[in-house]
Amino acid sequence: MPEMAVRELTFAHAVREALAEEMRRDSRVCIFGEDVAEAGTPFKVLSGLVEEFGRERVLDTPISEAGFTGMGVGAAMTGLRPVVDIMFGDFLTLTMDQLVNQAAKVHYMSGGTWKVPMVLRTTLGATRRSAAQHSQSLHAWLSHVPGLKVAMPSTPYDAKGLLKTAIRDDNPVVFFEDKMMYKLKGPVPEQEYTIPFGVADMKREGEDITIVATSSMVQVALGAAECLEKIGVSAEVIDPRTTWPLDEKTLVESAKKTSRAIVVDEGYGRYGVTGEIASVIAEGAFYSLDAPVKRMGAMHVPIPFSPPLEDVTVPTEQTVFEAARAMCGKG
Amino acid sequence: MAISVVMPALEMAQETGKLLAWRKKEGESVRKGEPLLEIETDKAVVEVEAPGDGLLAGVSAEVGAVIPVGETIAWLVAPGEKPPAKARTAVSARRAMGGAAQTAVGAQATVAAKTAVARIAPQISPKARRRAKELRIDIALVPGTGPDGVITAEDVQKFADAKAGAGAVAAQATASGVEPPSPVARLMAERTTQSWTNVPHFFLVREADAGELIAAQRRLGEEAKKSQKSAPTITDLLIALLARALARHPRMNASWAGESIRSNTEVNISVAIAVKDGVVSAVIPKADTLKIAEISALRRELTERARAGRLRPADITGGTFTLSNLGMYQVDAFSAIITPPQAAVLAVGAISERVVAVEGRPVVRPMMTMTLSSDHRVVDGARAAEFLNDLAEAVREPMKLP
Repeated sequence: MPEMAVRELTFAHAVREALAEEMRRDSRVCIFGEDVAEAGTPFKVLSGLVEEFGRERVLDTPISEAGFTGMGVGAAMTGLRPVVDIMFGDFLTLTMDQLVNQAAKVHYMSGGTWKVPMVLRTTLGATRRSAAQHSQSLHAWLSHVPGLKVAMPSTPYDAKGLLKTAIRDDNPVVFFEDKMMYKLKGPVPEQEYTIPFGVADMKREGEDITIVATSSMVQVALGAAECLEKIGVSAEVIDPRTTWPLDEKTLVESAKKTSRAIVVDEGYGRYGVTGEIASVIAEGAFYSLDAPVKRMGAMHVPIPFSPPLEDVTVPTEQTVFEAARAMCGKG
Repeated sequence: MAISVVMPALEMAQETGKLLAWRKKEGESVRKGEPLLEIETDKAVVEVEAPGDGLLAGVSAEVGAVIPVGETIAWLVAPGEKPPAKARTAVSARRAMGGAAQTAVGAQATVAAKTAVARIAPQISPKARRRAKELRIDIALVPGTGPDGVITAEDVQKFADAKAGAGAVAAQATASGVEPPSPVARLMAERTTQSWTNVPHFFLVREADAGELIAAQRRLGEEAKKSQKSAPTITDLLIALLARALARHPRMNASWAGESIRSNTEVNISVAIAVKDGVVSAVIPKADTLKIAEISALRRELTERARAGRLRPADITGGTFTLSNLGMYQVDAFSAIITPPQAAVLAVGAISERVVAVEGRPVVRPMMTMTLSSDHRVVDGARAAEFLNDLAEAVREPMKLP
């Protein structure tokens, strides 16, 4: 049988396909958010869904994140499986009580009587020239709270597989998409598949250094790994895919194998995801490490609007390459 | 109860010791204080005494093995008693300093423990440290090539490979008349290279009139003769004068502790002793409190033991300042290499008659040249000069010596 060419989809298309498939599969799945219906979101991720599923299931809301996130929590508790759309991750600030004090706690505080099978989709990532209130990557905040799961896909394939798992999960899941990655193309098979949470993916195999990267930083890490190969450094790129649950075993094993690790994440470096992952590696692989685990995240500043300034606030292929090179003692 | 025999830590930077010989066979009866084994440390080949009475049992270290300090290598058991099934695994080198040294070495070890506040540890990655332990490599000898000179696992591996290669080369070389150095000679080569490359030396030279020193030696010699003891040597007098001067200048008696200066509560003079294939340093502890006769007797005993290759761990540990006298070889003056972590070494040449000016007139006096090598991280030129001046004055007027 001739091998079928795997079709390529954009990241946005993969997200849309996951939603469409789940909405067809389960009539309880619905979408709330700003500009989610006819507009299909500013990033055109949801284009076409309102046409297929109608305004009852793809619901435009007022500009009131706290309100419609609360509505999502209530809907989930009473039988629906809503997918709430928060256009920019920066607006998570407005949803915090609903997420942290309600969605994350209800199952526990009701002794298991209530569930909150809600997905909150939102975005992260800088370099879109969107200024300080539309460019942050705040996934660390949610990863910090027991009761929430946090998924951060880095490819169209992972986006589709993880989103389907998120929708089927009975717990609240916060799903972060890199707004700069929506046009990224990648192979997505036609057939049904899901990706379990808490299973990291080796995006590239290597021997000399492990680069743990999340979401937007996975492509950066892969670019850096290619540059490193030219100077004789073989880098392994590991994508945890979910910050909680976290696949600690794979991270530690990779670091043990290569003896060196850099953790790259677009959130702020201070008290962030990089710190947590670096700590997991340091604890698990200490006696196999040849250098301190290095963290690379966004600078501790509001993300500037000025393009030249914005470009230096977050890790790039060049900075990751330089850090890895120095760590491997290659100049 | 079984008493553990451990590889003792005799030096602050010592990570391992090499077992050269067991003096007793397994099953043989041993009394506390009897020589039990012979080890090679960072400094010298020493005898280790039995830490207690019993039968030697459970010997787990072979001759030639390099063993981390603090590791149990045998047990002393009562007749019929079995050694504990599994020897305790090595405690960390730092902890072993106090514990192990005390068990094996006894009273003198407390000196080492007291001064062992901080050891000079090279920067090394956790993986490299683990590999070094597995490969039984002394990390103090491994050059680091990682960022900021950190020793990486690769450095350890390269060192191990080179060592294995060198062993093979050495074996070949013997045939063609090139011999590998003896343990003492090899240690001397390693330690002097390490000091010379790492310690910023500077040198002060001072001549002293030794007329009164010779007179004092003669006087003390006559007194000794009356009580049928050996006459003290010029070296003995210098040890006494030096120790007393150091007590007045504590900074010269201090040590470089990696990133800080550690002052030492005792003045322990290391005396360089030439042996067949190199030089070793034996320690006169608390020399500032000892009488000349005591110093003399101890120094003689140490010299004899050193030349017979029978120095004990206690004999070489805890030195805070070194005296090297080459006067008997007719050397006028020389500069010596510091023994880290000590801050200085005094090199003394021969006493010889020279024409010097005294109150504007040329006179012939017995003169002696002293060269002080100091670690500039611990002392500066002015401080060292004050000390050397004080010492020269003491040499000029030694009559107050007890």
